Amino acid sequence: MAELDFEMKLDRMFNEPPTMPDAEAFARLVEMRLDRGWTLRQVAIGAAGLVAGLAGVSQVLGSRLLFDAGEATQRNASAFTQSVTSVMRTGENLSALPFGGEAMWLAAALGVMALAFAVTRAVEEFQ
Amino acid sequence: MAGVKSPASLHDVELAALAAAGDRPAFGELVRRHGSAVRGLLRRMGAEPSTADDIAQDAFLAAFERIAEFRGEGTFSAWVRKIAARLYVRRWRKESRYDLDAETADESHGGEISAAARIDLDEALKTLSPAERMCVSLCYGAGVSHAEAAEALNTPLGTVKSHVKRGLDKLRLRLAPPEGATLESAGREGHG
Repeated sequence: MAELDFEMKLDRMFNEPPTMPDAEAFARLVEMRLDRGWTLRQVAIGAAGLVAGLAGVSQVLGSRLLFDAGEATQRNASAFTQSVTSVMRTGENLSALPFGGEAMWLAAALGVMALAFAVTRAVEEFQ
Repeated sequence: MAGVKSPASLHDVELAALAAAGDRPAFGELVRRHGSAVRGLLRRMGAEPSTADDIAQDAFLAAFERIAEFRGEGTFSAWVRKIAARLYVRRWRKESRYDLDAETADESHGGEISAAARIDLDEALKTLSPAERMCVSLCYGAGVSHAEAAEALNTPLGTVKSHVKRGLDKLRLRLAPPEGATLESAGREGHG
């Protein structure tokens, strides 16, 4: 029993923190080291990002991707121009048909109305 | 800003949760609260004050890295003291001071037991051999079990138990001696 009491007393004594006059300075030192570690980590992450970015740019340049993309864009632009020209030509052919422009507009309006009706019916069916 | 508590008003578990989310001022408050306990334990284990402070700093940095592991099952102080104790044991073993059979102790404390010596754990610990001091501090100061201490010190469990027992016998004579006992007799009994 006395032994247990003594061990409990010893536990208490060990658990009583000693008073240290420089406790605040110690805490500041730890915080400083934490901050330094954090800053170093940020710098390392930033540097790694920079290196990865540079590597990516050099890879892109090395693979002539931009040059190929430029060429593809030029090709697409000329294809678009050709399509527009062809549509214009079709419009010109339409005017050669034996009915007037009003009939064209009426047909278009009827088409839109038919589409709207179909959509409405579909919504009602699937609700 | 209403509703925002200052770190000083928060419980250790709340501070640890904030620290786990990267809040360094919250962790700073934990260091403020428990720094002395950790440094004190390391000194009691036998570390020089400057070494104790270095290891205590390393222990807190390690604790910050592993703060997510602290779930508040025990106290934060006990958790970080255990980290510090393990770091010190590692250094102790590396610096070739690992001689658990050494029986040398500070024998300059002979004579009548003073009132201060009766209550001063730090002074009493100085009368133990380094191995006894290490084992007693690990088990009672860092809350490490005998088996964990044996593993950390890489020594048989029986050796640790015997060092703890002899250390306790010596401390009992220093800290709670029978009336009229002297430190010399305490030392003799402790070694015998």
